[in-house]
Formats: sequence, C-alpha cells, structure tokens
Amino acid sequence: MEEKNKNNQSDYIIELNDLTKVYDGKTVVDHINLKIKRGQFVTLLGPSGCGKTTTLRMIAGFEKPEEGVISLEGKDIADLPPYKRPVNTVFQKYALFPHLNVYKNIAFGLKLKKVEVTKKTLGGKEVKKLVNMAYMPVEQKVVKKDGTEIVKTVPFRRAYQMMTVTTKKGVKKIKKVNLYKKYIDDKVKHALKIVGLSDYEDRDVNSLSGGQQQRVAIARAIVNEPQILLLDEPLGALDLKMRQEMQLELKSMHKKLGITFIYVTHDQEEALTMSDTIVVMKDGKICQEGTPIEIYNEPTSAYVADFIGESNILDGVMPEDKKVVFAGAEFECVDTGFAPNEEVDVVIRPEDWVIKREGNGILNGEITGCMFRGVHYEMTCMAGGYELILHNTVEYKPGRKIGLYVDPENIQIMHKEHVDNTLPVRFTSNTTFDLCGGVYEFRPAACFEGSEYDEENDVLKINGEEIVLKGKEGKVSFEFESIDMTDDEYAAPLAGNVESMIYKGKNYLVDIKTDNNTHIYADTEYLWDKGDRVGIKVEGDKFRFSDLDFMTGSDAAGEKENA
Amino acid sequence: MRNTFRKMLATPYALFMALFIILPIVLIAVYAFMDKDGAFTLLGNFKDLAEKEALPKVIKNSVIAGLSTSVICLLIGYPIAYYLTKKEFNRTGVMIGLFLVPMWINFLLRMVSTKAVFTALNIPLGMGTVIYGLCYEFLPFMIMPIYTTIQKIDKCYIEGAEDLGATPIKAFWKVTVPLSMPGIISGMTMVIIPSITTFAVTEILSNGKLMLLGDYIYSLRTYNLNLASAISLALMVLLAISMIITNKFNKDENGGGIW
Repeated sequence: MEEKNKNNQSDYIIELNDLTKVYDGKTVVDHINLKIKRGQFVTLLGPSGCGKTTTLRMIAGFEKPEEGVISLEGKDIADLPPYKRPVNTVFQKYALFPHLNVYKNIAFGLKLKKVEVTKKTLGGKEVKKLVNMAYMPVEQKVVKKDGTEIVKTVPFRRAYQMMTVTTKKGVKKIKKVNLYKKYIDDKVKHALKIVGLSDYEDRDVNSLSGGQQQRVAIARAIVNEPQILLLDEPLGALDLKMRQEMQLELKSMHKKLGITFIYVTHDQEEALTMSDTIVVMKDGKICQEGTPIEIYNEPTSAYVADFIGESNILDGVMPEDKKVVFAGAEFECVDTGFAPNEEVDVVIRPEDWVIKREGNGILNGEITGCMFRGVHYEMTCMAGGYELILHNTVEYKPGRKIGLYVDPENIQIMHKEHVDNTLPVRFTSNTTFDLCGGVYEFRPAACFEGSEYDEENDVLKINGEEIVLKGKEGKVSFEFESIDMTDDEYAAPLAGNVESMIYKGKNYLVDIKTDNNTHIYADTEYLWDKGDRVGIKVEGDKFRFSDLDFMTGSDAAGEKENA
Repeated sequence: MRNTFRKMLATPYALFMALFIILPIVLIAVYAFMDKDGAFTLLGNFKDLAEKEALPKVIKNSVIAGLSTSVICLLIGYPIAYYLTKKEFNRTGVMIGLFLVPMWINFLLRMVSTKAVFTALNIPLGMGTVIYGLCYEFLPFMIMPIYTTIQKIDKCYIEGAEDLGATPIKAFWKVTVPLSMPGIISGMTMVIIPSITTFAVTEILSNGKLMLLGDYIYSLRTYNLNLASAISLALMVLLAISMIITNKFNKDENGGGIW
C-alpha cells in the first residue's frame, strides 16, 4: 500500500459522508460518516432495523441517498446506477437465477462485460493492443507423452475475442468487444474452485443445498473482480455448523482475493470472528467503530457493551477522577475527565472479575448459581443488591461467600446516554398534557413548585400568579423509575413497542419506541420481550416541567434534571 | 366415521364432474363414431370430413387467425402486464381493473359495435377485421397470466442482474422475460384455443365470409351432429397433445401459469 499509491490514492477505498436515507418520512440512515480502508473486512453490525442493510444497498446502488456522498476511489458514485459500479453483492436470499444453471449464473456478469480495445494500423499493418485484465493463474491438466497427468499452472488465456477491423491508415479505432469465451470459461471454473464447487457447473441451482447456493452466489460475485464485495447477511439462512464453516472460508477467501469486504450481520459472534473493523449501528447512526478487540474491551456505550458479548452493566457514580462507586462499593479505575458525581454506566466483562476470599476483595457477595459452560463456569453472584455474572475456570458452589476484585483497567466507564426522559409536551388543560399523542393527567400542586390548585374552580396559581396552562408548550421530565409498564396498552395514555432491554444487575432498562418514533426509557424489574406492545403509565405527581414561558430560570422545577 | 363423512362432502363435486365434464366428452366420443342412422362406424365420419372441400380452407384460416391473434395479443399484452406490475403505475389496482372491464361487457354487443365502426370507416370486412376482433376479445386472457407471473418474480433477481452489470434493458431480457415464460405460454394457449373455436366473432366481423373451425362446427350442427362431434374430438386430441408438449418444455418451477 505504501509505494503503490503514487497517484494520490488514499488508503481509503470508499468514504461515506453525511449519508442519509429517508423512507416515508422515517430516517433510516441518519447522516453517517464512514471511511473504509482498502482490503479490509468491515462488518456493519446491529439489530434489525438499524439501517445497516440500507447502508449496504446505498453502496450497491439499489437505494438513492437523500443526502450525502459515497465516494469510491475519490469519485462520487451516489448517483451512479448499480450496473455501473465496480462493486458486487452477495444477497441474503442469494438471488441466483432459477432459469440458469450454476455455470451460467456465474458467467452472467462476465458475459455482459465489454472491454475497449484499441486498434491501430500503422503503415497498413494491423496492430492489436490488448490490455490484460488482472492476472489470475489457472491450473490445467496436461497429459504427458508417457500417459502421466500433471497439473500445470498457466496464465489466463487471452481475455478478448479478436476482431478484425479494417481501419484507415493511422486512424485509431476503439471498439467494444465481448470477453473471449475461453477466458470466461477459465474464470468461472477458477471461481468455482475458490468456493469449492468444481464439477457443479451443470447443476440446476434449485437442486443445490443452502450452503452450496451460498457458495455459488459468492462465486458469481467474485468472478467479476469487484473492488468491493458487499455481503448482506449471507450466512443468515444456514444452520450453525455450516455457518461456522462458511465464516472461516469467507475469511480465507478475503485473504486470498485481497479485495475489500463489507459485511452486514446482526450476529455479534460472526462479526468478532471475521472482521478487521466492526461498525456498530443503532437507529441509523454509528455507535462505535473499531477493531473487534477495541469494540469488545472498550465499548463506548452500554448499548454496544450489551450487544457485543456478555457483560455486567451497572449504574455507577464517579465522585472524582479514577474512582467509581457501584454496587455499593468504591472501585479504583483509570478513567478521568468526568464531572464530579456524574452518573455513569459501568461495564465489567464476566471474565474480568477476580474471585477472592470473603473480605479480601472490594465487594463481598454470595454465589447464587453455577453452570458449566465448557471452558469455564458461568456463575451468578449477589453482591450489594446487584446480580452479577462471573466467568471463572474454578467452580464455586451456590451459597459460597466470596470477595470480588476487578483490575482498574478492566473497568470500562461510559457517559450515560440518558439520565431521564425529557420530552416536548403541549398542555391540554390545567391537569392534562399531550405527550407524543397520549394524554396524561398530572397533579399540578405536586409538579410545580410553589403552586396552588383549586380543583373546584380549576384555578392554578404558581407563586401567587394565576396561570392557564391550556395550549402552552414546554418540556416534561420524568425518571426511568416513575414509569409503570403494562401489557394492556389501552390501560395507559401512551403505548409503544419494546425496542431493547439492558440488564443493569437489579433491573432492566427498557427502550420503548412510541408510534411516532420517540424513545422513552423505563426501569422495570420484569423481563419484557423485544417487540412487546406495552402501555406507559406514569403517576400524576412524578412529572417535572421546564421550558414553559412563565418560568424564570430559578424556579423551573425541571431545571435540575435537565442539567 | 370421520373419514366417510369427509368423503361424502366430495359427492356434489363428483356429481358435477360426471354430469358436466365426463358425460359430454363421452357423448362426443360416442357421436363421433356413429353414423347418421346410429350404427357404429370407426372412421366413417372422419372419412366424410376429409372429403369436405371447405375444410382445408377452414383449417388454414383458423391457423392464420389463431396464430396472429396470439402473437399480436402477446406483443400488446406483455408490455401492459409488465407496467401493471409496477407500483407507481398501478398503485391501487385500478389500472388492472380497467384492462379487465371489457370482459364484463357482453362480447356480442362489442363485436356488433366494432363492425359498425368498421363499416362507418369503410374498412372492408375480412381476415384483418376478424383478427382485430379476436384480439379485442381475448387480450385480457393474455394479460392476466403474464401479470401474475411477473408479479411473482422476486425483485432480488432484477437487482442481482443489475448488480452484475446488466442495464435495466438487459436485465429485462435476460431475467424478467425468461422467468415470465410460464405466463407467456399459458397466455398463448388461453388466447389461441378460444380464438380458433369461437364462431360469432368471425361471422359478425367478416359478414359470414370467413369460417374458422368454430363456425364450421356451428354450421354442421343442424344436419350432421356426428360430423361436428368428429371435428370436436379431433380438435380435443390435438389440443391435448399440444398441451402435453408445452408442459414438457415448461416444467413449471415457480408456478405462475394458469393452466
């Protein structure tokens, strides 16, 4: 990469700048920026609906971005149709043409390819100039005179069909010609060999197993020597064993071919095994980008930590630099730069807990469960009121009292993404407001400081001044704990679908997406399932309001939470 | 118990089949091998047919009319069916309805009015006008099966082709057309068979000058039901053979065709 890039070529083969895609008013991909290095295996990782497939489809050309630039080798290709882009895709459903056999499926792209040939006649002599395509050796069986067969490596045959064109003296003529048949033949056979399906040329694609179809789909893409190979959850339809095998094969193919792979998956294990770089996405945005080791060891948010591998995610407070309090104990850590007493998320991987004798660690706990997991034991432990997961090669029986210690470097501390729910509201009366289309009742006397409410006459006085709330707009804040989730959506003013849950040792932090795509976070002891329809109930005295026009800076009750 | 009850449920259908499908076929077969006096004759009726002077011409006309109708219907119907599958063109399904509405209007009425238009325009009635009428009549039968097969083609095949470097036009010829073959074949059969055996269209639109097989059978019905049966039987056998052949070529992989 060092000396080859003389002509200003950057290390990045493709750059996405501010890329945005909107479907029916919903932003699926939200101003993402991504640079991908030449020859890398990059994985876009995230749950379904996070925009990873849409991003891939924009690179392939099937979707047009509303905004942004996709620059391939420095050229913007965002408006180029898919057939003009030097990228090929392996589709989730394979998309093998059912009316063509394996050979014809793979040769499809090559047969369409046209190559420019320059022909010159100099002094009546015809000179054919052929620019050879990427050199790929091919193995040929040669039968010797004495009957023994040897395998010889020979370069590819001529790539283009020779055409005799009569041209005038000295006049250059450029002609587009098809690839030479024999050349296509060699390439197809070579591609089949790479995917391990030699001798399958004449098979009907419908007669192949899922794994074999997958291989044909890969062969069909790589035979065109794309600059970037896009893979859209290609292993999703395969069973576990096959999937693991194909993971290794894809990785070795990537090494052999040396082209850039962009891989989309929701399987974190797959991403960790195969990638050079992982890009974790959520809600159309990139959460974190890094090597698998970085992503695993230094997640930058609770979301990433939870999504990648097992982890203990706990609420903590940082009283000062290099000190963090969680699960009722103070730990040393290496993080600095947080505000004093800032609420943080603390992530500790289960294998990072050091188990000591009771009293010798920082935290004391009791083992509550133990499971053999092959290489290690997976144990649950109650400590300081929190349930922790520990991995250890030594077995500790349930009931055993232990001390726990963590190396400061293994404590990963992150800013909290949200401290409470703060959302815009519009009041519909002195005791009700509209939040995302749901009408909540509240007790003004409890929610506004220094207020009096006369129920009979519907008169609200704040600091002695009468105020009519109807029609006013502002912000409401309420704590995660104040939400009561119910499975009867009609029993609550507002309903939504459970998007994700993170276990915090004591309770679950649930992300509920309402019908107008607002996220509301709730703390709950109960386990909900992704996609569950839930009603969001909040007691009338748990609201704090802010940003209302009659409020001055000092007596805005919601001010504290907003800070 | 349960089983016998279930079998009983099929009785109405079995009766219907016996009465309206099997019995008529048997009757046609019986009549075809019977002479005027009701005596059995193996080839007598067919021999008579072969001696009819009008028959070769009728067959020739039928072949010309049937083939050209189905080809014209394909050329007109395929693009229509293709565009109807496009969402932006047929968002509410109204367009497809518009193309099928002519089927709801009595076809005799349509033919008579078409004839009136031709005469008003001083266009001589003949083979051309007959083919026009047949196309008018049977175009929906071409559109429907092609529409359903194209609609069933997964969009990922087209995307796959474009990804591999095919322009939209190339992708159409190399992927959409081959994958809609079952629809094309059933459309062709659905047009060619009824257009050969129809009778009113030719009579109206050629003023009785032209005769197709349907008209010929119709003309025989009053004085020789046996000959009519013989032609029908021969036609049936021919159609069965052609159907078997097309099915051999068109191993229905994805379903789609109506036949």
